[in-house]
Amino acid sequence: MRRKEFLENIRHRTRSGRYQPTRAPDASWTPGRRAAAAREVGDPPSRFLEELAALGGHGRRVKDLEGARDYVVELARERGARLLVRWDVEELERLGADGPLREAGVEVAVWRDLEDFREVAGRADIGLSTAEWAIAETGSLVLESGPGKGRTVAILPPVYVAVVPVERLVRTVPEAIRMYAGRGSLPQNLCFHTGPSRSGDIEQSLATGVHGPGEVHVLLLG
Amino acid sequence: MEKTGTEERARREGLASGVEGFNGRARRALADPELHDSIALFTRKTLKGRAARLAELPDAPELRERAYHIKQETMANLDRYLGQMADAVEARGGNVFFAETGEDVVRYVGELAREKGAKVITKSKSMATEEIELNRRLEEEYGELGLEVVETDLGEWIAQLAGDAPSHIVAPIMHMNRHQIARVLSGVAGEPLPPDVKALAGFARRRLREKFLAADIGISGANFGVAQTGTVCLVTNEGNGRLVTSVPPVHVVVMGIEKLVPRFEDLEVFVQLLARNGTGQKLTVYTSFITGPRGADELDGPEEFHLILMDNGRSKLLGTEFEEALYCIRCGSCLNVCPVYRQTGGHAYGSTYSGPIGAVITPLLKGDREAKDLPHASSLCGACWETCPVGIPLHDLLLKLRNRQVDEGLAGKAQEIAFKGFEEAVERPALYRAGARLGRVAQRPLVRDGSVRRLPPPLSGWTDFRDLPPLAERSFRELWREGID
Amino acid sequence: MRVALFIPCYVDLVSPEVGVSVVRVLRSQGVEVFYPEGQTCCGQPAFNSGFFEEARGAARHFLDVFGGERFDYVVCPSGSCTTMVSHYYPFLFRELPEELERAEGIGGRVREFSDFLANVLGTEEFGARFEGRAVFHCGCHQRRELGVLEEPQRILRNVEGLELVGWENEELCCGFGGTFSVKMPEVSVAMADEKIRALEKSGADTLVSCDPSCLLHLKGRLDRTGHGTRVLHLAQVLDPRRGRVG
Repeated sequence: MRRKEFLENIRHRTRSGRYQPTRAPDASWTPGRRAAAAREVGDPPSRFLEELAALGGHGRRVKDLEGARDYVVELARERGARLLVRWDVEELERLGADGPLREAGVEVAVWRDLEDFREVAGRADIGLSTAEWAIAETGSLVLESGPGKGRTVAILPPVYVAVVPVERLVRTVPEAIRMYAGRGSLPQNLCFHTGPSRSGDIEQSLATGVHGPGEVHVLLLG
Repeated sequence: MEKTGTEERARREGLASGVEGFNGRARRALADPELHDSIALFTRKTLKGRAARLAELPDAPELRERAYHIKQETMANLDRYLGQMADAVEARGGNVFFAETGEDVVRYVGELAREKGAKVITKSKSMATEEIELNRRLEEEYGELGLEVVETDLGEWIAQLAGDAPSHIVAPIMHMNRHQIARVLSGVAGEPLPPDVKALAGFARRRLREKFLAADIGISGANFGVAQTGTVCLVTNEGNGRLVTSVPPVHVVVMGIEKLVPRFEDLEVFVQLLARNGTGQKLTVYTSFITGPRGADELDGPEEFHLILMDNGRSKLLGTEFEEALYCIRCGSCLNVCPVYRQTGGHAYGSTYSGPIGAVITPLLKGDREAKDLPHASSLCGACWETCPVGIPLHDLLLKLRNRQVDEGLAGKAQEIAFKGFEEAVERPALYRAGARLGRVAQRPLVRDGSVRRLPPPLSGWTDFRDLPPLAERSFRELWREGID
Repeated sequence: MRVALFIPCYVDLVSPEVGVSVVRVLRSQGVEVFYPEGQTCCGQPAFNSGFFEEARGAARHFLDVFGGERFDYVVCPSGSCTTMVSHYYPFLFRELPEELERAEGIGGRVREFSDFLANVLGTEEFGARFEGRAVFHCGCHQRRELGVLEEPQRILRNVEGLELVGWENEELCCGFGGTFSVKMPEVSVAMADEKIRALEKSGADTLVSCDPSCLLHLKGRLDRTGHGTRVLHLAQVLDPRRGRVG
């Protein structure tokens, strides 16, 4: 009932209003007077790594699964990690890092049948996931939620690592958005994740890792 | 006098301070050199970033034009898009509530908290909930529930602890320095914290993490809502938005009805404009697209999703000459370029929304009487309109608001008489010339060393601070008659 | 080409010398100028305070004086008053078709002084000489509504002996804003002071603009605070009586 009245009121106002907005901006809007510094995305992988580095993230291109596995294990060692939490997806099974990690004294929690996800993700030192896509122009990861793909894996641990096959790179933000436009059903949660968590609230000085991970590693695979 | 009733209600609807007295509040701000410096620092940095990020976007002007037209289309068919949005959310297992006023929002959230036995509510930064003073009212009106409502955006949290309102749409505590912040946080920590950004941010991370994990309900605003898919788009840089919307079992979105866009692909326009224009980033760190509650086979994410579509005075603008004010995407850019805001900061506006957009929407949402000063807090320079990523003609809207005050008789008798006299004089050249002659005689005792140093009010507003040249001995028209060689 | 002068009311009454320089510059280019004596004010003070009805009265009077096909161009030494006619008369009369037509008929022919020189006469070099370091302040209407920002600066660069220097945040409003300067005096003055600090930093000894109202405001503040900066309208810099090359 409430909905009906609410929408009736709005319909009435949009239909009875006489005003036609006419001040559409013209296309002469030029931000600054410098010539456009538009950069075509030449080589997506190298552009992605460059953009991520500019944001304070760590990107690396690795040839094969072995290279990615070594990187993850080495990072866990360096950080003195006690618990790593990872998505329950086939690609990370194939990565085969669980064994070496455990050997190195790192507990591995897989995103399935968890008693209390808060406790696990909240205690983890490292979160590990894959990504659906990556965007070269901005250094972003495109993360979808779904079975086995916990969204908090990429946000609660202070260190976050993503392994992304290089062929999943798209060039621009509009391209990534169009991947989902017109799709019948969107994932409950979709996130464009661009570099480490940052805040400039205190005197506009950059503070990283205020709530999300301060350290973001992306391995482009292949 | 129906109007006064509305305004009475508007007062109760939040906005604790009246907006009269801009000058008084501005005076305090002008006497604060630190505030001036921090605004200068922020605006310089942000505008530099903005220019660079937009220059990288070859189709920025076209995007802006598209943004305007998308919003125009949205408002012209808002009932249809709101219906679509609600259907899509419900189809995904979410709940939708249509809230006519802030009061309705407070009731809905309060009753939901009661039903869930909630104790801790985490919030992601939301101007819509600031506008209706949701936190204060939940804690006051639902005191028996013992709710703890926690802002989780670093700046908002510090403002909340300090009992302060945010002073910028995007940078809420621009008005505080690290020493003030250290004092506020030391009070919470129970031990002295050093005025060091890293240390303060570290403390905030630890303290707020407990709240994130303990929260029973998460409340967020929405940067955009997609009618076609029922998706809520939310952007944050710290990641607090991700935590508020992923950890608690219940997620509530409070969204102004104007935040809709029709289609998912429309977001490519807005997501880019918002980040590049507002904060000078290519993309905000976390740009989330949330559609309904979590799936049955997911371990995290909210089990319940509630979308509150809030009107709170917005629909009044539809189909009127103020409609474009609803196109705003809250990027904050008009504040950054506004020469008035840059002198006074946000608190001088005495309202949730400050700067040019605040000067426009506060009177529109709260009533002209409530915000009498705001439309005048502008030199009408047009920088806001130039920078607006949606092309809202803010300076024209300010003019229309001034005109509306005149029509409502709020401009005051003195001005009415003065401008009637002005019209008489400019329509009758003889009268205009006689006035000029009279002025030349009248000014004689006031001229010292070739300029006028003191005039009676209201013109003393000029002469208290500035010299004024006297009327020339001979006007241009007289010189013309004599012949110019 | 029949060219009428529109001399804004405060120029007429307070700084008529600006109007005199405009006449001299135009005549030096062989332009015959007319000065319709019935002119008064474009109505902006009332408009900008929200008194649209009173502003419409002023606008009707302006259209009576300058309207129709009597003149090919109306030249005005103020970007702000020009904008009032070209952009805001159509806004004022948006619901009055007959007057709207009259306003739109003249809108494009009312031209700000430097715009007229550069874009109608096609001249940016006037053989003027002027010793000094100057900054150019562009009035906000002229910058944003009229888009005449580069022309006056090119004209100034062609003045012999004049060094045009840049200054910080040159796009910021000077704080005049019509009745704003009286209604919110402290903020208005703080804005002027911001400009004056940038002016000091630039090392310029002269401030040039195409908007006498900005000049009135900045000069009023400069004088009150004891600055010796010269404040001039573009026409005064170009005035052939001031000094010639050669």
